[in-house]
Amino acid sequence: MSEAELILVNEAKNCTLYTIQFLSEDESEFEQFYNKFKDDVEFNPDLMRIVGFLGRIADFGALERYFRPEGKMSDNVVALPVVTSKLRLYCLRLSDKILILGNGGVKKTRSYEEDDELSGYVITLQNFDKLIKEGTESGTIIVTENKIVTDKTFDL
Amino acid sequence: MNTSFQQMLSSVPANIQQEVDLEIALSNRINDLMTERGLSKLEFANALGKRPSEVTKWLSGQHNFTIRTISLLSAFFGESLIHVE
Repeated sequence: MSEAELILVNEAKNCTLYTIQFLSEDESEFEQFYNKFKDDVEFNPDLMRIVGFLGRIADFGALERYFRPEGKMSDNVVALPVVTSKLRLYCLRLSDKILILGNGGVKKTRSYEEDDELSGYVITLQNFDKLIKEGTESGTIIVTENKIVTDKTFDL
Repeated sequence: MNTSFQQMLSSVPANIQQEVDLEIALSNRINDLMTERGLSKLEFANALGKRPSEVTKWLSGQHNFTIRTISLLSAFFGESLIHVE
């Protein structure tokens, strides 16, 4: 298990973006995703589309139809983009107004479950989703309309 | 975060941001028109002879629409989805 905390990425009226920062890492999960592909000739355009899209989610909200359902029916893990691309960014969509950005990569297999790296990112988000549910039930985490209020660290 | 989100956003080329904005605007317009007409995704797909997965792509805000599809949808709704001045 590794200790992690929730980091605010962007705060806007219609959607607050967060990411996860493992305390043992220098960069958050979303920064790692960004830095992996920002200088990649093949995938930079798809990365830029995802970043540009996330910028607009601030205005329109993290609407369900903007995301590809991923993970299991029982969790809130989703992916971008919906359209054809081998690049995947995994996220935890708690509502139209709260989105937690995870890590991602290039999907080379039919499903993410066949890829250790990608399934690791999804499992991290699934575990985080479970901890948020437990935290809200126990009162250590408060999820408001567009914010997650907590000062705790998470064992992921 | 070491790289701020605003820094990341500023690295998005103008042409790609324009593409993203148009795709979102078109998907939102189609969604609004479907809602106005009381059409479910399945009903809408059936009316156009398309698969529901195609409609999912249109509504995702990330679909690269062709002139052909825009024309098909404009004719179906009886109004232009885009205006060129």
